[in-house]
Amino acid sequence: MKRHRDKKKRAGGIPTDSFSDIAFLLIIYFLVATTLVRVQAITTEMPSGDKAAQAQSEKTPIVNLRGGQMFFNDAPVTIEGLEEGLAALDLPARAPDKRVVMLESAAGTPYTMYFEALAAISGNGGVVAMVEPEK
Amino acid sequence: MPRNAKLARRKKRRTVPVPTASMGDIAFLLIIFFLVCSEVTQDAADIQVTLPSSARVEKAKAGAVARVAIDKDGQIFFNGSLVDSAKDVELGIHALVSTTVSEDQRHVQFRCDEAITNETFEPVLKAIAEGGAILDAVGTKKESTP
Repeated sequence: MKRHRDKKKRAGGIPTDSFSDIAFLLIIYFLVATTLVRVQAITTEMPSGDKAAQAQSEKTPIVNLRGGQMFFNDAPVTIEGLEEGLAALDLPARAPDKRVVMLESAAGTPYTMYFEALAAISGNGGVVAMVEPEK
Repeated sequence: MPRNAKLARRKKRRTVPVPTASMGDIAFLLIIFFLVCSEVTQDAADIQVTLPSSARVEKAKAGAVARVAIDKDGQIFFNGSLVDSAKDVELGIHALVSTTVSEDQRHVQFRCDEAITNETFEPVLKAIAEGGAILDAVGTKKESTP
């Protein structure tokens, strides 16, 4: 009887001494397991719908991708030539609605070529307006 | 022994306890900080994409509200899940972008295999534009030749 009463009197404290160790171990786990990914990309805003249609006029510069070649205002160019042509337009100095450059690609154009054109346009301060190929 | 010398000796014996009671709190605060600041990638690891390269590529400044990918087989993924068509991408982006308030929350990360042709990627790019997002086309940095 006496033994039973003694047991009841025991204080049931939660051991918290190792909490900081556990927390630091968790931090170390997160630091080791985390992969810091900072992706490299080209950022471009593409007008859509009516805006894109409004932006397209005869005076708007156009980049065509067809037959594995690039054309800037219907003249064949290399990527360096395209960069020079776009730089000559001084697009950043223009009003936002005048920075539009149309980008048209023929069937079978690989993404790598499209990406280079996209990068050249956005890198020179242009806004890309995608053009539907004529059917 | 003089009294002052005795006192000095007593002072030297004092131990300075380092307060460690709050170490656990600090550590847990650090964990919470890491959890809040971390951005868990939603891309499925098995999406096989060979990225195109350009000298114009820069580190993305803003986080992405959504991630779109087209793998080497032409399959379209939206936030790591396989979708049927570009229309699904547009609807998904529109739903996400319509609830955002700032420009930084309109960025959509786009990964596409370099060999994919425009019949596959152009509808997806159009869908991103129609969804009202800003395109972050992911690529690798091409080292410029001297």
